[in-house]
Amino acid sequence: MTQSGAPVIRVTDLKKYYGDVKAVDGVSFEVARGEVFGMLGPNGAGKTTTIEVLEGLRPPESGTVEVLGLDVCNHPQAIKERIGVQLQSVSLYPRLTVTELLDLFGSFFRHHVPTQQLIDAVDLGERADARSMNLSGGQQQRLSIALALVNDPELVFLDEPTTGLDPQARRSLWDLVKGLQAKGKTVMLTTHYMEEAAELCDRVAIMDHGRILEMGTVPELIGRRFKERAVFFDSSPALATEALSKLVGVTRAAQEQGQTVLYSKDIPGTIGALLAMADELSIEPRNLGIRQATLEDVFLDLTGRALRD
Amino acid sequence: MKTLLILTVANVKSLVRDRAALFWTIFFPVMFVFLFGWIFGGSGSSKISVGFVDQDGTAASAGVKQAFGEVTLLNLKVGSLDDEKAAMQHGDVSAVIVIPKGLQAAVAAKSAVAIQLYADPAKSQTAQVVQGVVAQIANGFNLQLAGGTVLVTVSSLTLQSTNISDVAYLVPSILAMALMQLGVFAAIPLVQQREKGILKRIGATPLPRWKLVGSNVLLRLIVALVDAVVILGIGLIFFNVQIVGNLLAVVGLVLLGAASFLALGFMLASFLKTEEQATGVVQVVQMPMMFLSGIFFQFDFLPGFLKTVGMAMPLTYLGDAFRQVMVNGTQVAPLAVDVAVLTGWLVVCMAISARSFRWE
Repeated sequence: MTQSGAPVIRVTDLKKYYGDVKAVDGVSFEVARGEVFGMLGPNGAGKTTTIEVLEGLRPPESGTVEVLGLDVCNHPQAIKERIGVQLQSVSLYPRLTVTELLDLFGSFFRHHVPTQQLIDAVDLGERADARSMNLSGGQQQRLSIALALVNDPELVFLDEPTTGLDPQARRSLWDLVKGLQAKGKTVMLTTHYMEEAAELCDRVAIMDHGRILEMGTVPELIGRRFKERAVFFDSSPALATEALSKLVGVTRAAQEQGQTVLYSKDIPGTIGALLAMADELSIEPRNLGIRQATLEDVFLDLTGRALRD
Repeated sequence: MKTLLILTVANVKSLVRDRAALFWTIFFPVMFVFLFGWIFGGSGSSKISVGFVDQDGTAASAGVKQAFGEVTLLNLKVGSLDDEKAAMQHGDVSAVIVIPKGLQAAVAAKSAVAIQLYADPAKSQTAQVVQGVVAQIANGFNLQLAGGTVLVTVSSLTLQSTNISDVAYLVPSILAMALMQLGVFAAIPLVQQREKGILKRIGATPLPRWKLVGSNVLLRLIVALVDAVVILGIGLIFFNVQIVGNLLAVVGLVLLGAASFLALGFMLASFLKTEEQATGVVQVVQMPMMFLSGIFFQFDFLPGFLKTVGMAMPLTYLGDAFRQVMVNGTQVAPLAVDVAVLTGWLVVCMAISARSFRWE
């Protein structure tokens, strides 16, 4: 058994290659008990490969991987008894019902939670006798999470749990994950939605091209790169980026999805200078606003490209 | 053991709820039995009509005619050669026996004479029976002439003739076909389950892989036995095809046959990546087997090179073994060879699958 305080996951210099492709290229991190740890990155960053090595589904190329204090190479069965797994985009036996699937998966484990309790936990009571093929996307995802919880796991892996869901279904899934954390479970999830990482995760690792670029709490990650806040408004050809970057307090000016973003150490000064400049040109900046830098900004700064392109 | 059972029940439910799969595994072969049973049903036990043309018209030829007349299996229709050939082309008679002019003279001179037989190779069963009868009678006459002994013994004819009806031939053959399809078609859900990530998802649980494979095998073996009961039952009830062999041997062969083709299905699934591929390749594998393994017509009537191809197919041996054990059919190969070939396929396909099967 893991002693409390000892990390639930400990990964040291993990590498996983597919031929010439370095899917995971030297990754190290630890996850503490009770923590929600997120891996944020674009498709192909190596998030899924990393998580699947931890789940015992793929052998690592090199490096050491310990889950619940056990080496994944030596004790895959013992680990599988104690973890919960939700894989990316799996459709299960399409013709079995929710209840049948939970009963079936429960039978694979030595200890399992009563099916009714799981159905209640993910709020699928009304669909208990529906075949999984007839569930909506959000319901399938909730079923998938219920299946990850059949063995009352200490550690739950969620691989892109909300990809493809509408905002409402995403919210309800977030509540579910928060509920897991409240019950003291450790959660490791991957996502390419920065707002999801910000909402759910105690700590986030930003991953790209098989490497972890930065790791920490969300405020830490933002604070480490952006002492400044941002002024933003709808881009206008008259307000050239180059001229804007010379305004009072501005450290960097950028174009992001049709908006001009000015990172500034002196927000009042920058806004004053901006409005003066616009007035001179007799235009008015539209949708002017102020915000903190976000994970998206951090990612952009780290990789030079947006998270979802 | 309990897990294996629960998983098998889950598989059975999945199959029963999948109408398309259910159709192919159970209703399709049943349809075949009825279809072919009705087509060939009549000819089974009734007499075979045979045209008889006497071009000699002597005492000797009359004796030959009498000998044929005494064969209870045959219904002789006497006429001219042209008439009888026309009758055969119309399907009124199944064969025509011609006694050539000069039979008596030849017999007197103790020189050879050939009785001519027109038979249609497409009607394999009938042709064989008539050929057997003619050979037997000719043989009898030869004996009589050489040794001066008395006439042909008719009793020996019934013993010699391989008298199994077309339906009796077809029922075990269709069961063999059903088991072949059951096994080969198993590749499709396997590839499906891999493509959908079900195999991978189960791989993330502590369930040992052998149980996952075992439950799939168990499911198919159960269906194989259901197929056997249904097909042989229909054969018995609707077409009076009695199973004469040892029931235990029948069950053993059903299981061996199903296992062999299931191993073939697993092997196919090892190399196929998408469901579309699987659906196509499965047809490419099962179609030639269906037609070149002596299921719908007797093996001997295939042209030489196709016969060689047919001899390489495991279905040939399963059908052959079934016919030997169930209805005393003529053999393509000795039963031991059939069993050995099927076991060989099973072992080789299993070994290849074990090496090459991918779980994701």
